[in-house]
Amino acid sequence: MKRIETEAIVIGGGATGAGTLRDLSLRGVRAVLIEKSDIASGTTGRNHGLLHSGTRYAVNDLESARECIRENKILKKIARHCIEDTGGLFVTLPEDDPSYHGKLIEHCKYAGIRCEEVSVQEALRIEPNLNPNILAALRVPDGTIDPFRLTSANVLDAQERGATVLTHTGVSGIIREGDRAIGVRCRDRRTGVELEVFGGIIVNASGVWGQEICASAGIALRMFPSKGSMVIIDYRINNVVVNRCRVPSDGDIIVPGDTVSLIGTTSKKVEYDKIDEITVDEDEIATLLESGEKLIPNVSRTRVLRAYCGVRPLIAVSGEMDGREISRGIVLIDHERRDSVGGLITIAGGKLMTYRLMAEMAADLACAKLKVRKKCRTQKTALPGSERKLDQAKSVKFFTGIPNSVVGSTLYRHGQRIRNILHREKRNYGLICECEMVTEGEIEYALKKLNVKDIVDLRRRTRIGMGPCQGQLCAYRAAGLFVKYDSATSAESNKMLVDFLEERWKGIKPVLWGDALREVEFCYWIYQGLFGLGDVRFPEEGEDR
Amino acid sequence: MRYDCVIIGGGLSGLTCGIRLAEKGARCAVISTGMSALHFSSGSIDLFGNEGEGKIVFRPFEYLEKFIGSNPLHPYARCGSSRVREALFYFRDQLDLEDIDLYNNDDANHFHVTTLGTLKPTFFSQRSVFNEKIRLAFEKKSKIAALNFEGYRDFYPELAVINLKRNVLFRNIEISSGKILYPDYGDPQRNPFEYRSIDIARIFDTERYLEDLAAQIRTAAGDAAFAAMPAFLGITNFKRHHQLLQQLTGLLIYEIPTLPPSILGMRIDNALKSRFAALGGVYIAGDTVRGGTIAGGRLESVFTENGGSSALYAGSFVLASGSFFSGGLVSEFSRVREPVFGLRVYSHAERSKWHAQEFFPRNGHPFLEFGVETDERFNPLTDDGQRLGNLYCTGALLPHYNPIREGSGGGVAVSTGYRAAELILAGNR
Ligand SMILES: Cc1cc2nc3c(=O)[nH]c(=O)nc-3n(C[C@H](O)[C@H](O)[C@H](O)COP(=O)(O)OP(=O)(O)OC[C@H]3O[C@@H](n4cnc5c(N)ncnc54)[C@H](O)[C@@H]3O)c2cc1C
Ligand SMILES: Cc1cc2nc3c(=O)[nH]c(=O)nc-3n(C[C@H](O)[C@H](O)[C@H](O)COP(=O)(O)OP(=O)(O)OC[C@H]3O[C@@H](n4cnc5c(N)ncnc54)[C@H](O)[C@@H]3O)c2cc1C
Repeated sequence: MKRIETEAIVIGGGATGAGTLRDLSLRGVRAVLIEKSDIASGTTGRNHGLLHSGTRYAVNDLESARECIRENKILKKIARHCIEDTGGLFVTLPEDDPSYHGKLIEHCKYAGIRCEEVSVQEALRIEPNLNPNILAALRVPDGTIDPFRLTSANVLDAQERGATVLTHTGVSGIIREGDRAIGVRCRDRRTGVELEVFGGIIVNASGVWGQEICASAGIALRMFPSKGSMVIIDYRINNVVVNRCRVPSDGDIIVPGDTVSLIGTTSKKVEYDKIDEITVDEDEIATLLESGEKLIPNVSRTRVLRAYCGVRPLIAVSGEMDGREISRGIVLIDHERRDSVGGLITIAGGKLMTYRLMAEMAADLACAKLKVRKKCRTQKTALPGSERKLDQAKSVKFFTGIPNSVVGSTLYRHGQRIRNILHREKRNYGLICECEMVTEGEIEYALKKLNVKDIVDLRRRTRIGMGPCQGQLCAYRAAGLFVKYDSATSAESNKMLVDFLEERWKGIKPVLWGDALREVEFCYWIYQGLFGLGDVRFPEEGEDR
Repeated sequence: MRYDCVIIGGGLSGLTCGIRLAEKGARCAVISTGMSALHFSSGSIDLFGNEGEGKIVFRPFEYLEKFIGSNPLHPYARCGSSRVREALFYFRDQLDLEDIDLYNNDDANHFHVTTLGTLKPTFFSQRSVFNEKIRLAFEKKSKIAALNFEGYRDFYPELAVINLKRNVLFRNIEISSGKILYPDYGDPQRNPFEYRSIDIARIFDTERYLEDLAAQIRTAAGDAAFAAMPAFLGITNFKRHHQLLQQLTGLLIYEIPTLPPSILGMRIDNALKSRFAALGGVYIAGDTVRGGTIAGGRLESVFTENGGSSALYAGSFVLASGSFFSGGLVSEFSRVREPVFGLRVYSHAERSKWHAQEFFPRNGHPFLEFGVETDERFNPLTDDGQRLGNLYCTGALLPHYNPIREGSGGGVAVSTGYRAAELILAGNR
């Protein structure tokens, strides 16, 4: 059995785990991150990517609101290329309780959130697609954050500082020695190879799955899973985040992101043993579209691209509660104190946008246990790609000869790292995914530097296949490039093409009408009618490859 | 304007119908919005390839004899199997007049190699895709060289070779791969790494580069007896240039379909349009039929998007507007409709039953079997139950068959188009 020795082990490659890995690496602690699937494939990749100002929580949960606004300001500096500083609006519809507006202004004051009242006319100027019948509006410093880029940038920085990252490797159990957790047993899900990793401290950052990790160490920790669904519309119908000004409820938020907008979210309790099987329900789609339309009437005329859902990783503090009433607060558990099991800590709860703070808390405790006396540096140290302000004009000039649109989208996705990706060679900037302007050079970079193991991973790093055609042509091209760049065998490439299309299908299935159905008919014609991909037989492990 | 017949939709089905009518002296117009499914298809015409559950149909006409009895709503059942045969061979002869040679293995299916190296049973293939010589070379287990332009993003022979090698038929055949340098022949303003099949095909429609290409193929193929190339060696002058290349190289050169756009399909599209025009048919491209005037169970005229108030009158009409993909069917949040005349459609009331759970399911997706409900003469019903006796629905617009699962898309389009023409001609007599 393969064995790895390290100082710290981080379980889970969501934003929290990736942030913790980076924090530790910045403090000079050797660390290994273990993720059962791909980085940002858990809850981190399944939310709206709203960089909250804290306004949404100001009335019900002042502490969360304060955390949000603090982190909001920090991330705008250290994670520039993952963020769009769009600003946000809270709008009151005719059917909403008009008094909530005033209450929100007051509570934002307590939380220290700059919240400015704007006239309806002004709100419509800021966001022309807004429902013109709104009664009142507030402007707040909401923004958007791309979870994939954020997580990937944290991982990249950690790796450049010496950390080890094992993706598609699941932790199957905690290894205990007496009253201490000393390591983890894991299995590479692609090769089937088993390995053990030992370290002085284990940080359980596996989100809602943390309950299982704890259970494998003999510790009781109860998660309280609550599902939220979102739909993506194929057009950026708004440029600022639009929130409904009322007590948080279903379908309150429309967030712009890249070339699309998303409507979120719902909230439904789910049984813990069903968290890996959740799907978007028909009634959720109807609710989201109806509520979305009230905020921005264009919604009903725009194509729905896909729908997806995530599970909020809330830890049940006590008793039965409605999913949304629980504090989204951060929970840091020292299992030595709570359960008399040394060497293990759990960090969970919180939000995507408080990942850095959560990582700081976890790394502080981990360092205390390892007796490492280094301070956290992540408030000030920019992520790779975000070192300087992004200056599109300058990049366009630097890359004269390459189409501006290609430079723009590469810069948008990778920030300053654009210089490691683009060069003035026609093959490098030839487009592979036309919808999202992904070049062969960007794919080559992702394959070599960003822990990409299959096409689904590649989509998270580059947005390949995320546009209106949902990967019709570019999926096959990407499969070819995996072989070309020696990242997979031909047989593996065929298999990952199937996996990619099945993965896409999960998100399209719930919204299969109109143009989505049309595109699916075409896509199915290509991959089954023309290619016969569904008939390709894949040898089992051990058979000749 | 007044015609004997107006055909809505100029794809495989509408054009087959139009050619047959025009040949018999009918004044015909085809109106078509845009590119048809042919532009994306493999360019082989499938008749019936799969029984289901992985069983392949080798003798499609024999199979149809039985199949029709137990599937009375299937478009083939409504044509009758002898008429299906008549239609297909008629189609082959028409393409022959336009210099497209279709290969068929007498009454049996043959296999063509797909982009991913799987084998698909089909009935007609262009001779550059399959022919007797290829079969012979294959039976002798001659070495194959799979060639590609270096950097062409729409074809990766490696992905195909692995699947071919797994196939028993290819077990003892040596397949090498080779690269041909990227044709720096095109427009210097464009990025050659973004060329599609069509861009390359246009380059090879001129003779200028053939010698250079032949020399490269020669070298890259080494000692192989035949060379497999992505299908992008020309559209209009393909036949001549293909012969020339084989002469210059001394190799058998055959074509493998690429990602769309499909050059093989476009050749057929061109040929059909050319044949239709030669017979005096009028092809109106880039216009869309929006609706029509119905009186006494008959469609009297149709109007189009660009035609303004001037309607098109005809004795008969054919609706060959394709499936969802071409806009012949439209789906909404919870229903499927036919957008031009609001004809009665076969579908499921519940949206969750439109599709299978997996993307690659065993039995295909139900939505592929939706379409405009007709009687055995292919006459549809309006939404309020009126039968339209002079409107015929054909091709991918029809329900009760699954073109992908069965491997029957091209055959249904051809035979129902042909059948509609026969019914119209009989009615006029
Ligand atoms: C519907 C919804 C909307 C949201 N909207 C927002 C928003 O707009 N803004 C915001 O800031 N926050 C939002 N959140 C909250 C936010 O998404 C989460 O708080 C955050 O992503 C949690 O990150 P994490 O890294 O802690 O967990 P995760 O991202 O879930 O990471 C845990 C990782 O651990 C891995 N793992 C699990 N078990 C194992 C194992 N045995 N071995 C190895 N790895 C394992 C998983 O695969 C996963 O990748 C939203 C949440 C939901 C559900
Ligand atoms: C990607 C793909 C691959 C395929 N591969 C194969 C294959 O390998 N072998 C095989 O046998 N079959 C294949 N098929 C199936 C076969 O090509 C189709 O079944 C057949 O071509 C359908 O022909 P059609 O004429 O009925 O419809 P279409 O080809 O869809 O043509 C319909 C035409 O009508 C036009 N139209 C629609 N509405 C209007 C309107 N209101 N007014 C005017 N014009 C209108 C459209 O623009 C279109 O040009 C494939 C299909 C697709 C989509």
